[in-house]
Amino acid sequence: MRHIQTIKTRSLCESAKNGGCGECQTSCQSACKTSCGIANQQCESKQQKKQ
Amino acid sequence: MIHQYKLGGYNIVLDVCSGSVHTVDDLAYDMIALYEQHTKEEVLRQITEKYGSQPEITAEDIAGCYDDITALKEQGKLFSPDTFEPIAGTLKQKTAGVVKALCLHIAHTCNLNCSYCFASQGKYHGDRAVMSFEVGKQALDFLVANSGTRHNLEVDFFGGEPLMNFQVVKDLVAYARSIEQESGKHFRFTLTTNGLLIDDDVIDFANRECSNVVLSLDGRKEIHDRYRVDYAGNGSWEKIVPKFQKLVEARGGKNYYMRGTFTHANPDFLEDIKVMLDLGFNELSMEPVVAAEGDPAALTEDDLPIVTEQYEKLAALMIQRRKEGKPFTFYHYMIDLTGGPCIYKRISGCGSGTEYMAVTPWGDLYPCHQFVGEEKFRLGDIWKGVNNTSVQDDFMACNVYAREECRTCWARLYCSGGCAANAYHATGSVRGVYEYGCKLFRKRMECAIMAEIDRQFSKSE
Repeated sequence: MRHIQTIKTRSLCESAKNGGCGECQTSCQSACKTSCGIANQQCESKQQKKQ
Repeated sequence: MIHQYKLGGYNIVLDVCSGSVHTVDDLAYDMIALYEQHTKEEVLRQITEKYGSQPEITAEDIAGCYDDITALKEQGKLFSPDTFEPIAGTLKQKTAGVVKALCLHIAHTCNLNCSYCFASQGKYHGDRAVMSFEVGKQALDFLVANSGTRHNLEVDFFGGEPLMNFQVVKDLVAYARSIEQESGKHFRFTLTTNGLLIDDDVIDFANRECSNVVLSLDGRKEIHDRYRVDYAGNGSWEKIVPKFQKLVEARGGKNYYMRGTFTHANPDFLEDIKVMLDLGFNELSMEPVVAAEGDPAALTEDDLPIVTEQYEKLAALMIQRRKEGKPFTFYHYMIDLTGGPCIYKRISGCGSGTEYMAVTPWGDLYPCHQFVGEEKFRLGDIWKGVNNTSVQDDFMACNVYAREECRTCWARLYCSGGCAANAYHATGSVRGVYEYGCKLFRKRMECAIMAEIDRQFSKSE
């Protein structure tokens, strides 16, 4: 595509099928303690890591 | 739903529900903005009118761009519908009854007297106290017993100042390690400290046992010492900086965060980030203060444009330093577009009150550290478990679709509905919306995604 570049991302729709193992870090447990989001968390699913 | 913005020389288009990210030229940027609202003929007419006189743009080119947008839509990478709401409750129910993280309030006391402290100088509006080993041990047993099939369990030593009760911290870690094998669990410990009591023993312990340490430093000496003072009113900057430098140097690459708070006194917090960098720290976090409206430390509406500009300049500084071979990380700009959270996490949020709880020195359970001292939020205790199920149900019902304002927000699957404590303090309800925080969050996400795009493009050059 000459006008559009698509960045490689994780498909959220696909993750609905096999997500939710719950092993990832609790958001507020790391640095913020006051203003958390979840976008900066790492997926820790073994299944995801194999992909 | 899509979100379009221009930043750092990039035209960026986010497809909210698929998580897709695109960079586009001006023609495609304008065409995507028109695409859903107009017929094909009208879109092509408007784009031709604006770009048709440019020699390198042909009619075929414009039509081809339209077809590319249509193809991305058909692939589910643009204008994808939100199909998650009907399953949001089911996804969050996956965590029902499972606790995987505790914030242990190891000391409700502090050797600093910071007036901006959300924990009221470590006392959480109550009495000074330290956690006994017996209470801490029971908390760890409670965590193991309620963690279901979760393997990784997180325990943060928090306060007040946890190093004022350091022996109990060490004893609890030793106990936890002793039960890891039999319980089939792995503990990850973190420590949040103001640094005053750091010595070689603490450094050795933290670097051996803690997956992360959070070190409180506000940046410039005059900014730090404005609030972070001892009970005699003396600033702490000169005492703690050499200790932090020694700890970080000895850490050998293990994670840490130099965590600052910015307030109305320093909305220009990038200057504080630069001081942290000059001191040799490169894993940084800088958080907006949590303060009641009217508190002199609280950020104001006038601060907002300054703060948002600082976030943009911070992203530019990150890019510049990476290209100079002097990279640093900023907690809120760490985004992994391929290895980030699944939709379950994005809908469920931080897990406060369900997966994550705070434990007071007396063994009481609260939804998170920010609710400690708010008696009506007390969930139960570590001996009998949760008995205030109505409050826990409120937190269980907190997902990204629980707040009307979030439904139309492009950032909802990056923020997951935000912080329940911030919402409560701003609106009186854990399902309210702290709009000021939302504005900051959206700006941070725009910056984080732009910086990540730049990193990827730089790598492929």
